[in-house]
Amino acid sequence: MSLTVLMVLVIVVTNAAGDICITRGMKRVGEIDGFRPGQLLKIVKRVLTCGDFLLGILFLAMSFFSFLAILSWADMSFVVPATSLVYVVALIGARFLLKERVDGLRWAGTIIVCVGVALICLP
Amino acid sequence: MKTFLFLSIAVLAQAVGNTCLSKGMKTIAASTQAVEALSLGLLVEAMGTPLIWVGILCLVVFFGCFAALLSWADLSFVLPASSFGYILNVAFASHFLGEPVSSTRWAGTLLIVLGVILVSRSAAGRHGNSDETEGIADATDS
Repeated sequence: MSLTVLMVLVIVVTNAAGDICITRGMKRVGEIDGFRPGQLLKIVKRVLTCGDFLLGILFLAMSFFSFLAILSWADMSFVVPATSLVYVVALIGARFLLKERVDGLRWAGTIIVCVGVALICLP
Repeated sequence: MKTFLFLSIAVLAQAVGNTCLSKGMKTIAASTQAVEALSLGLLVEAMGTPLIWVGILCLVVFFGCFAALLSWADLSFVLPASSFGYILNVAFASHFLGEPVSSTRWAGTLLIVLGVILVSRSAAGRHGNSDETEGIADATDS
């Protein structure tokens, strides 16, 4: 497995993991239904002390730095479309870790994304 | 109108940002004596490169516009709308970075955009019709 493929997987998996952690954290914080300064301050405090959220930020940071690293040698026209795989991984994570319901159309869409990514990998 | 404006700025900022990051990282890799593909030194040098910070700033602008859009528009609209950014990214890579982009790669990019649109369409079905719930709330209000 080449370093490039490995890096793409790292970027995609950590990004999806970050998204899932942040989703879980924000659901725990609760729906933001008011925007008065006092309310917002309370929400910010809850968010910043939420383990899931902070873990999510850590994962996203890992994803971003891996993205920077791979750009030092790989084509942007390959890397950016390749990272669209995050839609697929996040969807699988959402279904099995967050127990979200995913309908047929959404699965179809993600499969099409995969085919698209496979195409951009070809020389 | 403001939706179109914010979308345009978001998509443009993301493409410009990625282009700056790519250019910056390639320049660092080219000028480094011992080119280690993966090293902390590479990232440390990146943090000291102005073009990288311009790229990060552009991505921050993109994220700001994205978040702002979500404050009034549906995610099921914003997500596919911003997926056109993939096309812009590839176009910028070809034009500004001189990357060779085969027709296969273009076809793959278009398929990805289609896939994102499909995924978002299903989301529209799931969370749509806030009018229904509003109607019910009105009916039970006394």
